[in-house]
Amino acid sequence: MSALRVMVVDDHPMWREGVARDLTEAGFLVVATSGEGRQAIRVAAAARPDVVVLDLQLPDISGVEVVLGLRAALPEVRVLMLSASGEEQSVLDAVKAGATGYLVKSTAPAEFLDAVRRTAAGDPVFTPGLAGLVLGEYRRLAAPGQGPGPAGGAEPGTPRLTDRETEVLRLVAKGMSYKQIAQRLGLSHRTVQNHVQNTLGKLQLHNRVELTRYAIERGLGG
Amino acid sequence: MPSPPRGFEVPLWRALTVFRLASLAYVCVLAVRDADRYAHPFAVGALLLLMIAWTGATIVAYARPAWRRWPLLLADLGVVIAIVLSTPWVVGREALGNGVPTLGVAWMAGPVLAWAVSGGRRRGTVAALLVAGADLATRERIGQSSFTGVILMLLAGVVVGHVARLAVAAEERLQRAVELEAATRERERLARGIHDSVLQVLALVQRRGADLPGEAGDLARLAGEQEAALRALISGTTPVGAGRLDDGDAVDLRALLSRYASTAVSLSAPASPVPLPRQVAGELAAATSAALDNVGRHAGGRAWVLIEDEGDSVTVSIRDEGPGIPDGRLAEAAAQGRLGVTLSIQGRVADLGGTVRIMSAPEAGTEIELVVPRARG
Repeated sequence: MSALRVMVVDDHPMWREGVARDLTEAGFLVVATSGEGRQAIRVAAAARPDVVVLDLQLPDISGVEVVLGLRAALPEVRVLMLSASGEEQSVLDAVKAGATGYLVKSTAPAEFLDAVRRTAAGDPVFTPGLAGLVLGEYRRLAAPGQGPGPAGGAEPGTPRLTDRETEVLRLVAKGMSYKQIAQRLGLSHRTVQNHVQNTLGKLQLHNRVELTRYAIERGLGG
Repeated sequence: MPSPPRGFEVPLWRALTVFRLASLAYVCVLAVRDADRYAHPFAVGALLLLMIAWTGATIVAYARPAWRRWPLLLADLGVVIAIVLSTPWVVGREALGNGVPTLGVAWMAGPVLAWAVSGGRRRGTVAALLVAGADLATRERIGQSSFTGVILMLLAGVVVGHVARLAVAAEERLQRAVELEAATRERERLARGIHDSVLQVLALVQRRGADLPGEAGDLARLAGEQEAALRALISGTTPVGAGRLDDGDAVDLRALLSRYASTAVSLSAPASPVPLPRQVAGELAAATSAALDNVGRHAGGRAWVLIEDEGDSVTVSIRDEGPGIPDGRLAEAAAQGRLGVTLSIQGRVADLGGTVRIMSAPEAGTEIELVVPRARG
């Protein structure tokens, strides 16, 4: 199996080089680095990375725009966000736009490298913080008064978590590893992973539908 | 103390100058019209010259902010009252009785307005009463029209004084807003600078050193803690980016709990604010803090806090991976009267109408779940 192709996008050169060096030493192929969002999208189209390690705070465009641009240029690319704390809404928005992993910048190198591998394999990388955000988002969508649906209830088509998915996500938010969750719930590791993946998939699908509907409404109305 | 430039007062003083000139012109027109009816026309002429000179002097004097003090204000009022009081003699009682106006007319309101602009409603009222008293003392007959003049002058003093105070207050408020904006901008500039440099380095130090043994590892952890603290400081809020709530009595539970977040304590929460009445949020935060203290003592420090907003209720879960509480240990502690933590947590949450669930097994850590109902208003 050839080396995984990784691209590092971060506006701080010292950090960018540090991460790139770690990745290279661990056997990854760092195909490009960039300090700006627009440049990153252009470069990614040519460099064709498998995984983009992305800092959400870039000088030119927002993290969500970078994620959308990357996925438009390279539909198969996986995005792992590396961010500082205190950016909850942008993390959530980027996840809804298609990013599948999130780590805080202070994560230890070994954990980070593992996260890059898992992201490349299609596994969502959930921190407890991200699980809390996703849980909150499902509850917000399910709450009455959201969207133009019938009064007193969420509109039809709103994504909902199954009881099992909620249970798994809550345990992730409380800091348990997939292995620990599998043990506690008597499930296989793979099943736990699937549950977590589904929670993201439904949210991203809903987001795409919403965006499309918004675009159509604007198109017909304007 | 150098007084700040009073931007909003300047137009008021300018308007007063215009008023003095216009009212002086009115006095001159009346004097020319009635020249042959005065008892002492030459004295009237002399007084007119004095009024012109005094108007010029006050215009010059009031133009200097430093001179707008008691000596000038008192002199202004004194000169005007003296001129008003001399009216019966120079105009003549007979002429006054036949309807010839006094010399002061509108011009005597000048010092009243000056007092009002310089000192507000109360000062304007005092000056208006003094001038009106002098004016009424010169009258042979006190009729309806003289009272109307007095009332108008009183109203002018009150209204102009009020407007002057408003102008000063607005000026001060604007000044504060400008200072606040400057401070905010400076803070944002610093935040950008720190974000681009110090924070990145601290995070890098923590990341590089996290796996090192001994002192280097400790230093890395310290760097991480400082990074979190500094980030909270420059964001001007809390690490969780406390959402602003319009309701004065509600607070965002995330903001309260974020102060417990650290490299050892992870906090998970929704992206939007979790509003709770101030008192409820405070009790919940205290219960969470008690649970975390427990972690620090018994479980080696690592802990996870999860905030969930279910609409009708709010749940806070605290989990650690410590040795756990052995079976019967809670009952044993209760029997020995050492219920500190549990009692404090359960007591607080029960007072809020909520429930506490404690799950623990040896070697599997402890999970405490606090559920508090939200009163619907």
